[in-house]
Amino acid sequence: MASKTKDRDLLEFQWYTALSDYITAIAWSPDGTWFAVSSAAGEVVQCVEKTKTVTVLQAAQGTSIDALAVSGDGVFLAAGGQAGAVLVWRLDGHAPTQILALDQSHIWIDRLQWNPHHPELAYGFGRHVQVWSATQQSAIADLNFESSSVLDLAWHPSGDRLAASGNQSIKTWWRHAWEEAPMVQQLGGASEAIAWSPDGHYLASGNNDRSVMVWQDGNPFPWQMRGFPGKVRQLAWSEPHQSISAPLLASICGEGVVVWTKDCDPSIGWDAQVLDLHQGSVRAIAFQPQSLQLASAADDGWLCLWRKASRLTQLFEGAPTGFSCLAWQPQGKTLAAGGGQGEVLVWTQTTTGQGFG
Amino acid sequence: MAVTERKTVPVTVLTGYLGSGKTTLLNRILTDEHGQKIAVIMNEFGAVGIDNQLVIDVDEEIFEMNNGCICCTVRGDLIRIINHLMKRRDKFDRLIIETTGLADPAPVIQTFFVDDEVRNQVRLDAVITVVDARHIWQHWEAEEAIEQIAFADVILLNKIDLVTEVELEALERRIRGMNAIAKIFRTRDAQIETATILGVNAFDLNHALQIDPDFLNETAHEHDETVGSLALVEAGELDGDKLNAWLGELLRDRGPDIFRMKGILNLAGEDCRFVFQGVHMLFDGCQDRPWKPDESRTNELVFIGRNLEQMNLADSLRACLVEQNI
Repeated sequence: MASKTKDRDLLEFQWYTALSDYITAIAWSPDGTWFAVSSAAGEVVQCVEKTKTVTVLQAAQGTSIDALAVSGDGVFLAAGGQAGAVLVWRLDGHAPTQILALDQSHIWIDRLQWNPHHPELAYGFGRHVQVWSATQQSAIADLNFESSSVLDLAWHPSGDRLAASGNQSIKTWWRHAWEEAPMVQQLGGASEAIAWSPDGHYLASGNNDRSVMVWQDGNPFPWQMRGFPGKVRQLAWSEPHQSISAPLLASICGEGVVVWTKDCDPSIGWDAQVLDLHQGSVRAIAFQPQSLQLASAADDGWLCLWRKASRLTQLFEGAPTGFSCLAWQPQGKTLAAGGGQGEVLVWTQTTTGQGFG
Repeated sequence: MAVTERKTVPVTVLTGYLGSGKTTLLNRILTDEHGQKIAVIMNEFGAVGIDNQLVIDVDEEIFEMNNGCICCTVRGDLIRIINHLMKRRDKFDRLIIETTGLADPAPVIQTFFVDDEVRNQVRLDAVITVVDARHIWQHWEAEEAIEQIAFADVILLNKIDLVTEVELEALERRIRGMNAIAKIFRTRDAQIETATILGVNAFDLNHALQIDPDFLNETAHEHDETVGSLALVEAGELDGDKLNAWLGELLRDRGPDIFRMKGILNLAGEDCRFVFQGVHMLFDGCQDRPWKPDESRTNELVFIGRNLEQMNLADSLRACLVEQNI
């Protein structure tokens, strides 16, 4: 199918389920057959897309789960949350088996991510990043960020390095030499969100001093984007596309989504387009895989799809107190979103591509 | 339209030295039959463990937003935890933040004005400082002790049973000299009606300025401290442009030394009162209700800060008055 028609494909509501509280995270398996959902009441469930079956991995228990991640091979699911909770399940057997359960601390775990190519889980633990190996069933690195708590972390798409962000800096460690001092990128404020572009060429940081910074591989001097009305809370990169010189970078700040396009002329830098439809804080953004379509979800109860990250093509409701998170299936056919009262909604691409011209 | 107006949750900040009675007060608030569900954020492990009340402890973290400018520092730990807690906003009606005796109150307060995400969800109700009437004299040298008093909206002079009336009066005078806007209560075992310290709305601009009349009447303040209060009362109309220029320059040059300020102003050509408040360089002002016909239109301003007498505040304010044709 030509990419033009593919862009026009519309999503249609497919199914709904609910947990007991605010949905904090959704994570898809790499093969796109299932996704996991967590809630502020501490629930963790696995939902199989085709059969719509929901398996409870952890029931509601008072303390929240705030982050979820599925390993690159789809075998392990990790969850982190309040009271120092780090949980890992093995999901390749007949039934899910829990292989790690830490909860001995007052430190809130809200950032965790698997290395894309190895079953190694990195999670922010106060001022440290811990790396835990599912193969060895033990911690393999303890990285001291020092300057503050770790606010975000991101593995490079190649899996060879890990970046962590916080107050005044971003620090990047090489996987083959954890013990060596990290590479440091200085900031004027605190970095709340970092993201590598899928091609690995760019690292972006969303900061509390109302700026976004972007570093290109091998260039120590970043681009600085300013003029945001508040702190920049989340970032999303598109995949590379033949129509653009660099991947698109979407950022959220307050009720706005700002999409940055790198100009073909290097002296111009990045051009901004503001998508200002939302009337409540934007909670999540994500590009559809293999496409430039952007999804945004907000406190106003709207989930919007923006064709080429610029023109509104579809708008969904279904979470009256607001959407809290969203995640595209890696194949890009299905979109799952969570709501403030435990709503979990799933939309799937229709094959007829008619409708909005 | 899918938009629903969400109400913000009030936040009470509780400061004071270890041993001042801060934890006793917190326990009293938590066990009192006020019908409110309260979530507590603490910076020190305390002896608080009340059933059905959510208590979270975090380590204090100061974030700079502008390369170290003290007016742009916020508390990163509070921002993170408040954003987590607010996901379950239906689970509690009020937040109490208990800081350590060594905490600088400014970044705590600034967090509620500078961070847009926090500001959308919660509002600062008041800063309550508990002072150990018996032992405070040991701490006058400590900047934190002074600043906790200077930034407070409510001050509990606690352990009054351990000092004489004369000592207490001297202490109260000294504290009033430092902070002319706080409500001062004398307590034993931090015994106080919870309702009088929760729901103070001290940062609500529409709450009229309250200066202790005794403070205004006193002609000579004790100026042995570098930290003090200054109240200005001036009749006449102010020139908005001149006032803007003066306050802008003052905050730019002396912002770090001005802890808090509040005021009600009579601007030339306006039928409504103009009210404002500030914390260091952060300034917030708006038009208030119309002046009443029988009300005397005076400008009232209070500054709390360090070395205020060097700032020519009274003369500068007078220079902003519109010249009257006599």
